[in-house]
Amino acid sequence: MKEYKVTFLPEGIEVYVEEGTTLLDAAAQGGIAIRAVCGGGGVCKRCIGIIHQGSYETSNQEDLGERGAVLCCETLVNDNLQVEIPSTSRVEDTSVLLEGEFQLDELAPALQSFELSLPEPEFGQNDSDLTRLSRGIEKILKSKEFTFPLEEIKKIPDVLRNNQWQVEVDVADLGSYYQVSRVKKVDNEKKYGLAVDIGTTTVVVSLIELKSGVEESRRGRYNKQARYGDDIINRIVHAVENKNGLKELQDAVIETIQELIAEVTDSAGIHPEEILTCVCAGNTTMVHLFLGLNPRYIRLEPYVPAATAPPPVLAKEVGLTIHPEAWIHFLPGIGSYVGGDITAGLLATGVADGEGTVLFLDMGTNGELVLGNKDWLLTCACSAGPAFEGSGTKSGMRAKQGAVEKFILKEDGRAFSCKTIGGGKPEGICGTGFISLLSTLSTGGFLDRRGGFTVEAPAIRKDDGEQEMVLLKKENAQGKRDLVIQERDIKNLLRAKAAIFAGIRIMLKKLDLDLAVVEKILVAGGFGNHLPVGEAISIGLLPDLSPDKFYFVGNTSLAGAQLYLLSRQARKKAVELASRMTYLELSEGNEFTEEFVSAMFIPHTDFSLFPSVAQKEQD
Amino acid sequence: MAIPVMKESWQSKVLEVVLGATPEKGGTRGKTITIGGESTLPYLLSEGDIPNRPQVAMEVWDIAPDNWEEQLMEPFADVIEDPAAWAQKCVEEFGADLVQLKLMSGDPEGEDAGPEDVEETVKKVLKAVDVPIIITGPGNEEKDNLLLPAAAEASRGENCLLGLAIEENYRTLAAACMANGHNIIATSPIDINLCKQVNILLSEMDVPKNRIVIDPTTGALGYGIEYTYSIMERIRLGALQADKMIAMPFLNFVGEEAWRTKEARESAQEGGDIRLGISWEILTAVNFIHAGSDLLVLRHPDSVKQIKEHIDVLMGS
Repeated sequence: MKEYKVTFLPEGIEVYVEEGTTLLDAAAQGGIAIRAVCGGGGVCKRCIGIIHQGSYETSNQEDLGERGAVLCCETLVNDNLQVEIPSTSRVEDTSVLLEGEFQLDELAPALQSFELSLPEPEFGQNDSDLTRLSRGIEKILKSKEFTFPLEEIKKIPDVLRNNQWQVEVDVADLGSYYQVSRVKKVDNEKKYGLAVDIGTTTVVVSLIELKSGVEESRRGRYNKQARYGDDIINRIVHAVENKNGLKELQDAVIETIQELIAEVTDSAGIHPEEILTCVCAGNTTMVHLFLGLNPRYIRLEPYVPAATAPPPVLAKEVGLTIHPEAWIHFLPGIGSYVGGDITAGLLATGVADGEGTVLFLDMGTNGELVLGNKDWLLTCACSAGPAFEGSGTKSGMRAKQGAVEKFILKEDGRAFSCKTIGGGKPEGICGTGFISLLSTLSTGGFLDRRGGFTVEAPAIRKDDGEQEMVLLKKENAQGKRDLVIQERDIKNLLRAKAAIFAGIRIMLKKLDLDLAVVEKILVAGGFGNHLPVGEAISIGLLPDLSPDKFYFVGNTSLAGAQLYLLSRQARKKAVELASRMTYLELSEGNEFTEEFVSAMFIPHTDFSLFPSVAQKEQD
Repeated sequence: MAIPVMKESWQSKVLEVVLGATPEKGGTRGKTITIGGESTLPYLLSEGDIPNRPQVAMEVWDIAPDNWEEQLMEPFADVIEDPAAWAQKCVEEFGADLVQLKLMSGDPEGEDAGPEDVEETVKKVLKAVDVPIIITGPGNEEKDNLLLPAAAEASRGENCLLGLAIEENYRTLAAACMANGHNIIATSPIDINLCKQVNILLSEMDVPKNRIVIDPTTGALGYGIEYTYSIMERIRLGALQADKMIAMPFLNFVGEEAWRTKEARESAQEGGDIRLGISWEILTAVNFIHAGSDLLVLRHPDSVKQIKEHIDVLMGS
């Protein structure tokens, strides 16, 4: 079979591929992450590449705007090619919004380090070295439940004597027991641990000095798995239906984390091997893919995962290049679609600690909800899709510098002004911006209640057979394209908000509770750096409660992972929380569909659920 | 000791919709027809009123149907090429309360007739009969949006019932109905929420609520009849519990659905016993009358006769 060279611009990365390979696969081979929301099915039309040189074969017949523009998933290599991959087609690498504070009551990290001063052996006190050492450790840990790896036992006699019986011991907390990882010379060096939030779309890591509990550095990045599909279902399909699918996904997430580790260790001036332990919080599918566990049965009735609370594993077992003997811990999850990231969220926010009933919403690609208080906890998950994270929409982007977070209708009532994160020129629209936009369009009379443009809507044009409204001309935006919103985008946003709202309704219904019992609503997620509560209520994303009941808590998955890393109490509590949560499977029965359909409306088919919105409209 | 009979008393009732306009009201119809107004579940007359009897319409096409079986065409054989005569026969000979004029000539895959042809047909039919009429398009979004406004204008002032308005395509038709003083059919796919959504969308375009008729989408006997039945039941319960957005009367396209079934079709083919098909249509219609239907469109004259007798019995007349 013939082989051709494909050069990707602007980097000039060259790869050699067999005839008939898709450009999408060729790009993946070159380490270029292309957006393929639909998983490479020719549906989403986001993976546009521009061919500058060479002949090609593509099954897509539509006009994609520019000359030589093709869909990478539908284009086969049968010549040497030069292909430009524009930034709009890429899974970008810039940092996403970072936040999340946490309260720490005690410092007992997952890897503790302490000094021991042992009595020297003499006649009459001739206990073995191991016994002597164990006795010392026992006193500090106040526990007899610890083990030693053989490799460490081998070193003990010399290490103890060479250091005059003054040694430093690293002990890993593995839940029900400890493991003595290292016995060595006292060096008083800093010890590092890593907290990782493995999100479906975003991965964030935090480097923490374990003795002080101080965060040294934090970085976020897009999950490179996005090239294999946008939501967990597409990822599972990729893992199950492709020969190397699972491996590819595992490599992609490890690579993402690896790059983030390089950034945080660079910034702290340390070597990655100095990271001695790691805690990961992620949804159940993400944890499966990270560990290389088969995710197939998560998707099939009755939705049983391989593991919700995997035990700690060694870094060398998954190929993460921190200290090879570092233990990687996982926040325990609850069910197939409610994972350790939610346990982390509860840990970080204390939802489960108070008397009052609290609703916790994590509006990620997979929307998770927890309702409860210190006596009971109910949780469920609904697939919201990535629309509020800026994906799955034509002009969407993640919440970062240059993302529009607010739209304001100008006085003439025909054009918009906008506010971006960081105040610069707008580049795209983030989740918060979409909430603001839908609300502005709807109250301005430009949208009917099902999300279609009305005849009053300004600046409507057709693109690719789809109605779209031009929000900002490219002259006023940064980049090559106008900022637009399509009817298709609005449908995606409505689906996302309907799924979340339907989830809330069903949880309340199951418990026969009125919305009024909810004292606080905590909203977590990466869709912006603030939450426009009023606008979110006006489009029916959030329930119609007084705005002072809402709290935007940011990335609680990471905050929970940090707590888990630093506090033994938190680790115990996480296990207890996970076991206390009752998991509600929404795909059983047809209640969800019914609630979902009635929520696919602005704000809702049942107006009585949104009295404040109805009131405003009347005024 | 006698056990007291528990009676439900409802807070609200179904809206009344008036079809057709007499000369005093600016039209040329001989009479108007009022549907809806129920203040009880179907025929529980001890709990409320059913002021208006269900009405029976017959289907009339503006071209000879290409998919009706031989025996089903028979009663109309002499008028099948002439919609005006066909309509007249339905009213005068078969006793139809209304006619539904289906503008099938506009089907882009068939004759692809334009708005001028349609205008003429509508005027002819209005002239030939003096009952209120229902007008529906070929069911292709673009063509419906072209033909129905023309039909609405040609029948201006006659207070017809036009359709079908669906969630994805309702604006053009709603505007045409309002401009020309017609009522509108709001169609939704067997779902109470979607039904309500179309009604809200129409209301927000300022279509008065008493000018909307609900088409819940009809499933024929053996082909989803129970789904339609239970959605109609839920919609009607909502109406009686004062949900104004679903308090409109029902229209069921029974003939179209019943004669689409394999059994009915085979019975009407050469050598078949069409009585089976007619029974299929009757049973489907009876079911929906008992679900609260206010307006039924049928195809076969024998079904019309039987259904009207059944309604007489129910209404005690």
